[in-house]
Amino acid sequence: MITQVIKIGWLRLWHGRFELLLVFVVPLVFFTIFALIFDKQLGSGKTKQIDAAVVDLDQSPVSQSFVKHLVDDAAIRRYAIEDNEAVGYDQLDAARDTVLRGDATVAVVIPEAWAKSLVSGKPAKVWLLADASDPIGPGVVEALVQKLTADSLAAQLPATEIADAPKQLPLVVETIDVLGQNKTSPVVSMYAAGIAVMFLLFSATGHAGSLIEERENQTLERLLCSQLGMGQLLVGKWAFLAILGVVQIVAMFAWAQLVFGVRVSDHLAGFAAMTAVTAAAAASLALVMATACRSRAQLNAVSVIAILTMSALGGSMVPRYLMSETMQNVGKLTFNAWAIDGYQKLFWRNLPVSAITTELAVLGVAAVVMLIAARVLARRWEVE
Amino acid sequence: MTAALCVDNLRKRLGSVQAVDGLSLVVEAGQLLALLGPNGAGKTTTIRCIMGRLRPDSGSVELLGKRLRGRSERRMLGFVPQEIGLYADLTTRENLTAFGRFHGLAGRELVRRVEWALVWTGLEDRATKLVGSFSGGMKRRVNIACGVLHSPKVLLLDEPTVGVDPQSRERIFEMIAELQSEGTAIVLTTHQLEEAEKRCERIVIVDHGKVVASGSLHDLLVATVGLEQTARITLDEPIAPHASFSTNGDPRVLSARMTSVAAELPPLLARVEKSGGDIRDVRVHAPNLQDVFLSLTGRELRE
Repeated sequence: MITQVIKIGWLRLWHGRFELLLVFVVPLVFFTIFALIFDKQLGSGKTKQIDAAVVDLDQSPVSQSFVKHLVDDAAIRRYAIEDNEAVGYDQLDAARDTVLRGDATVAVVIPEAWAKSLVSGKPAKVWLLADASDPIGPGVVEALVQKLTADSLAAQLPATEIADAPKQLPLVVETIDVLGQNKTSPVVSMYAAGIAVMFLLFSATGHAGSLIEERENQTLERLLCSQLGMGQLLVGKWAFLAILGVVQIVAMFAWAQLVFGVRVSDHLAGFAAMTAVTAAAAASLALVMATACRSRAQLNAVSVIAILTMSALGGSMVPRYLMSETMQNVGKLTFNAWAIDGYQKLFWRNLPVSAITTELAVLGVAAVVMLIAARVLARRWEVE
Repeated sequence: MTAALCVDNLRKRLGSVQAVDGLSLVVEAGQLLALLGPNGAGKTTTIRCIMGRLRPDSGSVELLGKRLRGRSERRMLGFVPQEIGLYADLTTRENLTAFGRFHGLAGRELVRRVEWALVWTGLEDRATKLVGSFSGGMKRRVNIACGVLHSPKVLLLDEPTVGVDPQSRERIFEMIAELQSEGTAIVLTTHQLEEAEKRCERIVIVDHGKVVASGSLHDLLVATVGLEQTARITLDEPIAPHASFSTNGDPRVLSARMTSVAAELPPLLARVEKSGGDIRDVRVHAPNLQDVFLSLTGRELRE
């Protein structure tokens, strides 16, 4: 008797192709994705380089040599400051802005008379204007600057003085968090967006599955025999999913503001715009999946795989700055990455709505294109 | 008088199968027509063509004398699917309101028709209950009501009584009779031959996409198996053959066809007894739709 129960279990699993996929294939897919994210040797090619802007206020041969060594390091990719004509402290402002915009993770600022301070044996501190949302980049640059300063100091001091110098060079770098003062952790707003988007996708595909149920129990047949057209049906479902998505995201960020201090109310216009396009795109994606699938079981399997994959690559599970550059670029193919980037620009970088036009455009266009795709796919359920 | 629904020489090929092959039928206002046929005969394809869900390869469908082309011209058609095509997680009233709206009703008219439907189905006291919690018969009643809220002139009912108890079945046919009395032409597809025999004024039998017979039950009997009844006499032991009866396989079972049972059966029984036959059982079978169906299609009609 018991063996028959076991046998039935195996037979049902064997006949349910999508369940088999979920049980055996999905774990392997996810293992592969996370291996690609964290294994620097696989798929990625190399560790992500740190974008660093450099401002040399000293402009001495020593500081120029220091900058050359700094940007030649494999871990660093120099970010060219946009305002080429800026000099002196104007250049400093431009460098700070690149960090505020998120174009560079850190700006290395070599102060005036830095070379002279090395000769005197009391090196002035190099400033690092950093974005604390990346917990790795500023630390790596700080260590590199410390090492290069020690090298520069060694090159400037006579051999006798080097012998007399203390073994441990005092800290010659000062890191200034240009974004994080008086703010809640950047990870909070990132995860508010990441988790909201992931569950938005799950709930949207769950509700979009009603379309398949309606087809399976002939409700769709009777709906299409009424005055309701397929286009109206899809737009109605899309609007419902989008409104539901807006409510979900608003609830998530309201909680994030109340409990974790994310300043949503300071960016209401940007939040409204991002939320509208995010919910619209999620609704369209859910409808594409529902119209492409033949059965509820197939939709369940496809949506779980698609949503978890997008969430893993797009930064809903693991921050994208931890990923290699290749994986970060792959992540840009996902809906999650654009949504999270948009919200981060608003709530972490305090940028205006104009700074998220790319994210709004990408998600908005995706929403329209996917809705059209869903309409095309649904044609097979119409008049034959 | 203009027919409520007129289907003329309808043809539709689905893949390699000629699902409907020159099918024609006419339904008058207030008439209940049974569309019968074995599985795969083309009934559902015909209904889908009428409803505009399939585009016929040729032929025409006319509603109240007007040829149907677009969706808007089908406003006067009603359709009730075989499956319970309702939202199980909505209440009766919510379902009725939703489908009323989809059929173009709004405002007071919508409210009036929903109230009518609740009374018509006998479910006023269940108006706020979720349909998913209902018995099969109650679901069927709501299922039908959702298809007639817009007062269609022609109603297509696909197996409206599948899986319901006799009491609910009776209630459903009372509802259908009410619609008939209001002038609605009804096309009923069913596997219940007794139902078709008892309730429908006209019967159309379809096989291989064609109408193989149509008319009243009397017409069909005359055209196929005839009106004669068959008496079957079971004996304990076989007797010598006689011209007044025949045996079919088993020599102890005699059968004889007769126009008048009252006049012809007693002399037949007397003759059998006189021939030494010891009668164990006598049964008289009146020809019915099952015989007609079997005679025309060579198949039994089963659910």
